[in-house]
Amino acid sequence: MLYDALVAPFVDYPFMRRALVGALATALAGGPLGVFLLLRRMSLAGDALSHAILPGVALGYLAAGLSLPAMTLGGLGAGLVVALSSGAVARFSAQREDASLAAFYLVSLALGVALVSLKGSNVDLLHVLFGSALALDDTALYLLAGVATITLAALALFYRALAADTLDPVFLRRVSRFGEFAQYLFLSLVVLNLVAGFQALGTLMAVGLIMLPAAAARLWTQDLTRALLLAGVLGALSAYIGLALSFVAGLPAGPAIILAAGAIYFVSLVLGRAGGLIRNLTPRRHLEG
Amino acid sequence: MRLTRRAVLLALPALAAASARAEAPLPVVATFSILGDFVREVGGEAVEISVIVGPDGDAHVYEPTPADSKKLQRAKLVFVNGLGFEGWLDRLIAASKTKARIVVASEGVAARKLEGEPDPHAWQDVANARRYVENIRDALKAADPVRADVFERRAGAYLQRLDALDAEVRASIARIPEARRRVVSTHDAFGYFAARYGIAFIAPEGVSTEAEASARDIARIVDAAKREKVGAVFLENVVDPRLARAIAADSGVRLGGELYSDALSPPGGPAADYIAMMRHNVEELSSALVP
Amino acid sequence: MGRRLLGAAVTGPGVAAIALENVTLGYDRRPAVHHLSGVIAAGELLAVCGPNGGGKSTLLNGLAGLIAPMGGRIGRGGAAARDFAYLPQAAQLDRAFPISVADFVALGALRRKGIFGRIDQAESDRVANAVAAVGLEGFETRVIGELSGGQLQRALFARLMVEDGGVILLDEPFGAIDAATTDDLLALVAAWRAEGRTVVAALHELDLVRRAFPKTLLLAREAIFWGDTEKALTPGNLAAARAMARAHQADAAFCQRDESEPADAL
Repeated sequence: MLYDALVAPFVDYPFMRRALVGALATALAGGPLGVFLLLRRMSLAGDALSHAILPGVALGYLAAGLSLPAMTLGGLGAGLVVALSSGAVARFSAQREDASLAAFYLVSLALGVALVSLKGSNVDLLHVLFGSALALDDTALYLLAGVATITLAALALFYRALAADTLDPVFLRRVSRFGEFAQYLFLSLVVLNLVAGFQALGTLMAVGLIMLPAAAARLWTQDLTRALLLAGVLGALSAYIGLALSFVAGLPAGPAIILAAGAIYFVSLVLGRAGGLIRNLTPRRHLEG
Repeated sequence: MRLTRRAVLLALPALAAASARAEAPLPVVATFSILGDFVREVGGEAVEISVIVGPDGDAHVYEPTPADSKKLQRAKLVFVNGLGFEGWLDRLIAASKTKARIVVASEGVAARKLEGEPDPHAWQDVANARRYVENIRDALKAADPVRADVFERRAGAYLQRLDALDAEVRASIARIPEARRRVVSTHDAFGYFAARYGIAFIAPEGVSTEAEASARDIARIVDAAKREKVGAVFLENVVDPRLARAIAADSGVRLGGELYSDALSPPGGPAADYIAMMRHNVEELSSALVP
Repeated sequence: MGRRLLGAAVTGPGVAAIALENVTLGYDRRPAVHHLSGVIAAGELLAVCGPNGGGKSTLLNGLAGLIAPMGGRIGRGGAAARDFAYLPQAAQLDRAFPISVADFVALGALRRKGIFGRIDQAESDRVANAVAAVGLEGFETRVIGELSGGQLQRALFARLMVEDGGVILLDEPFGAIDAATTDDLLALVAAWRAEGRTVVAALHELDLVRRAFPKTLLLAREAIFWGDTEKALTPGNLAAARAMARAHQADAAFCQRDESEPADAL
């Protein structure tokens, strides 16, 4: 019975295998990014950026019609402009990152809506752009795998710089010439993963697989490296369980995966050894010293 | 002499009034675009038609507006499909307090059953369309006897075209090898077409593509396509072409184009009137199924 | 507490004197340090004292290269500002970040190794020595969020040590910590001096200055006195410093002295 739910669907149906590979790629790269987003207090950035990409998508649409590559590239451009500009504003003015991102994404979204209405039609561009895990073709899979590889390589290479930039950016900027760019590198990785994720999997799944497993992972460990690895693992688990649920119970794939991730999060919230409710609320014997 | 002249003088205003009434087109309402097309063919310039659910609209889930209410008030005749197609109609009629006569276009059609309920898509069988046209003609003649001969003439010409269309459809289907006259479709609007012209439309069980598709839905469509050895898969409701392509790839079955079932396309589109619509559907079926 | 030194000789670039030529530093065109001139000799142990708002932190920010002078120039004898190790007054670090004390202290190596440099055995030893030198043995695996204020300050000192800078700038390093920690850290400062490093520290604890710092700059936007500590911290000088730290002049005109003073002032 368990075999029927957990193994058979992936053995029997190519589209299930493709969905799994795509979702795994997103989860393994997105989880670590999510941990950093959490630590930088940017947990809502993913959602904001999903709106911010609209003018880029609109420009792609105005230039080339309903062409997915054009709209994706446009979205990527807009996302980068918004993310990097808000980062620069936070760095060089008195504004904090959350305020600057809110300002930029709202302006960007309004610009996008205006651009779309220029063409006259009522096409919901974002709906067209956002895909579904069940509809992944080879191009989408290559995109996801490529983005995941780039992200993991960048995270491994620049791990120390990213950690230092999150922990003590003033210190990093003082001791390293790379310090100024660490923030922009990180934001670029986030936008890249979000846009690839939107296009292939839809907003809910892309943002959800980045944030929820990371939030859950933080409840189990205070060690950064372990949190990064655990976030990826929990995300992968969510993808697997969610797809099985979509197959067995007829739930739409994206929400099913996020619900699985959510269930894992709530379990972590209660049982997590590094800040979960049971740990925090039950008195324990204190140590010698 | 004087009597004749007075008679003529007196008759003139009456004649004028009569011909004035004859000049003004009869205001009518049709509930959806296909029905509107029939009424337009039969009525021509003699009727002024308002259509409630326009091209590309979905009458199953339509929400009437106050403007629709006004249309009903002005109308003398309201042409409806019947067979449960317009679930919102009774409320709209009550709200508009119209005094128009309601004409059920599908009167006399042998209705099929779909999951226990009558299947409203009777127009997909051209023979039924003939019945619709006849009903419309008779209603218009009764409402406007002055122009009865216009309606009679126009209806006659249109019915001939419908007969030609029927023969055309049969011939096209005949060209498809019998083994290939099977398709998987997620839309259940082609029951009458299937029964009359001999193409099997198989709907995967329990699949709803109105909302976001689940893995189970996709699997069922793929399974149905493979199991039933269909020639093509038609997915009218699937918005994402990528999903449609994935299904076609996994089932090894060709993906058909778009079929029009419940509404015409806008003018300039491939199904701007009923005859064009039927031709377009047959064309899509042929090109998908003929090897 | 171990007293092992990091090395008899300083490993960074050779320490040179720091020359301040008519330096004006400030924010928003308001000078916080106004026309300061002087030399900090190589290997000197200098305290910078003065009232709040007198420009101590601003001076250190300027020496560390975090702000550019509004007038005059700072000569570092060929070294770059990046080569100066700096402990700011309020550490702007994220205490909730999951990093162990050992890894945190190891960040000090970034300046010398770069972001891709590996932490080799020599570096690990340096980190271990630094942790021991500040009295945090046993805390290596603790997360920094678990440390008390004094312990965090020790960890910051340890990171500073691993930076291994020829010039060390400290801004109010003993702010919120207890006497025992203060003594330990002062001993470290003395050890640095013995290694030939230049140490400049902004302090308001005058007793500590008298105890441990041979030279003092008494700063109240302008130099009140710059020289031996006992001559600097006389009641007269201290009163003058308090008097000079006026509030901002709301309608201050452009500084006239930029035109009148000769360019080669020292």
